Amino acid sequence: MLVVGEIRDGRLVPSSLEAVAAARACAGPADAPEGLLVGPAARTESGAFAAAGLGTVHCDADEALARPTPWAWSRAIVAAATAAGAETIVLAGTAAGRDVVGRVAAVWEAAGVTGVTAIARGPTGRLRLTRPVFGGRATEELEVAAPRAVLAVRPHAFAPPPAGTTAATASDLSAPRPEKDGRITGFERVAGGAGPELGDAAIVVSGGRGVRAAENFSLIEDLARAFGAAVGASRAVTDAGWRPVSFQVGQTGKSVTPQLYLAVGISGAIQHLVGMVGSRVIVAINSDAQAPIFRVADYGVVGDLFQIVPALTREVRKARGLG
Amino acid sequence: MEIVVCVKPAPDSETRLRANPAGTALDSEGVKWALTGYDESAMEQALLLKEAHPGSRVRVVSFGPAPRSEEVLRSALALGADAATWIEQPAELAPDPLLAARAVAAHLRDAPWDLVLTGKQAGDDEAGLFGPALGALVDAPSFGGVSAITHDPAARSFAFRRSVEGGSETVTAPVRSVLGLQQAANDPRTAKLPNILKSRRTPIEKVPWALTQAALGPHGRPATERVAFRLPAPRSGAKMIEYRTPDEAAEKLVRLLQGEAKVFP
Repeated sequence: MLVVGEIRDGRLVPSSLEAVAAARACAGPADAPEGLLVGPAARTESGAFAAAGLGTVHCDADEALARPTPWAWSRAIVAAATAAGAETIVLAGTAAGRDVVGRVAAVWEAAGVTGVTAIARGPTGRLRLTRPVFGGRATEELEVAAPRAVLAVRPHAFAPPPAGTTAATASDLSAPRPEKDGRITGFERVAGGAGPELGDAAIVVSGGRGVRAAENFSLIEDLARAFGAAVGASRAVTDAGWRPVSFQVGQTGKSVTPQLYLAVGISGAIQHLVGMVGSRVIVAINSDAQAPIFRVADYGVVGDLFQIVPALTREVRKARGLG
Repeated sequence: MEIVVCVKPAPDSETRLRANPAGTALDSEGVKWALTGYDESAMEQALLLKEAHPGSRVRVVSFGPAPRSEEVLRSALALGADAATWIEQPAELAPDPLLAARAVAAHLRDAPWDLVLTGKQAGDDEAGLFGPALGALVDAPSFGGVSAITHDPAARSFAFRRSVEGGSETVTAPVRSVLGLQQAANDPRTAKLPNILKSRRTPIEKVPWALTQAALGPHGRPATERVAFRLPAPRSGAKMIEYRTPDEAAEKLVRLLQGEAKVFP
């Protein structure tokens, strides 16, 4: 078993630890998962990674892998899987992680499954994986029919294991770089995107038409910041140009399935609902008690968002000890 | 430039989802099969590149069962694709993104192409495996979450943005790359009536399953088996919070999120 960790800006991405938890959920007691880290920070981060419960951590410290392309990363992953004698590879299902699963599965001749939220064994001992489909509107269970599997686990689906005291054994690894590969030449942070990415966030706070004007959207952003949440928007907001289309949740935007989704000033048109109805807990704040959003919500507040939201922001900050 | 767009028939996003009686798959009765958002973005990007580089050709390819593949191929033709290829998938064969990638890769081995575009993921299974697997199988670079592709014919390369956590990367990739489009990467056009009528007469090239099967050998089987397909229990309606002041509403809500829903520390 191999767990592939991800390093971003020189630091281990927290969901990599969730991937370790997922791997340990399907590993036999005698099967200590090994790890892989790539890029110049691989060795320095290997201790924190191993402490989650790994044996050897393979490190490919090539400078060119600081932001690995899917091709280059897949080569390192297959090399590490071979070195570890692994039959299953587990990664965090981030954008980059998901973008490498298909490559590894194809060349390693394995099954590939992304978006995994639960791991079990079927009646015949095969790996059985649960994953949301149709933007969280349905769930499927797949059994692996191949001898090998590559799995990407959905962020926040597995609790990270408590840090143990495993002594890290780092082992150097070097895989050949592909020759005709593309090059990642730059990175631009999304303006106002200090919070988590919409698709991966555990909590999403979305604003709709009820916000009434672009300048009022800061209310939504303040609440999102208090929660440590990503900011979303309904189509009415992106159509009006209050926020860019990258914020849009719904049929023509992104599908999200966070632990908690707050719909503020969103009436709940079907186009919006299909993009968020798979969220675990839904809160609606709307002035119209008849708004369809209340039919899919778990908790509802009927009222003026311009009063409720600032009060909620204060309360959430208090609860999180932010003053 | 020869652009290949790979599309997958998926249920229209307005489809009312139902499980089959065995609870192992979507009940396909009455489902309308369509291009989904990501594939529409791929199709639109192909047409934009074709317009920017006259003499280019857009060919749309789909691996799937009849007749739903034909429906999405006709939609793509109506949007402006120059040719369409249907790679037959036997109806009894379970859909599998890796198998689809192997089937398309086998077909591309003898076909000219400079760029493959596809959706970052399909609108139904949302696996995101097809593009990366295809890239690996045809020995080409692959990137997903892509938008705003430009082509530099002199350098024989493409430049584009790739959406990742927290922002977007700028990437260049050589001719013969496989790129998966981000949803809403552009504003897809709608088909015009004369083109819809014309698309009905365009012949669709067919690749019979026997041919694909011979090329794939032992790999011509799905690597996963779906054993369950479930819809979430309908929500019973919101618990409405009674309050006198906004502060009281906020306090009650936070307490419920912490204590009852346990979604918040």
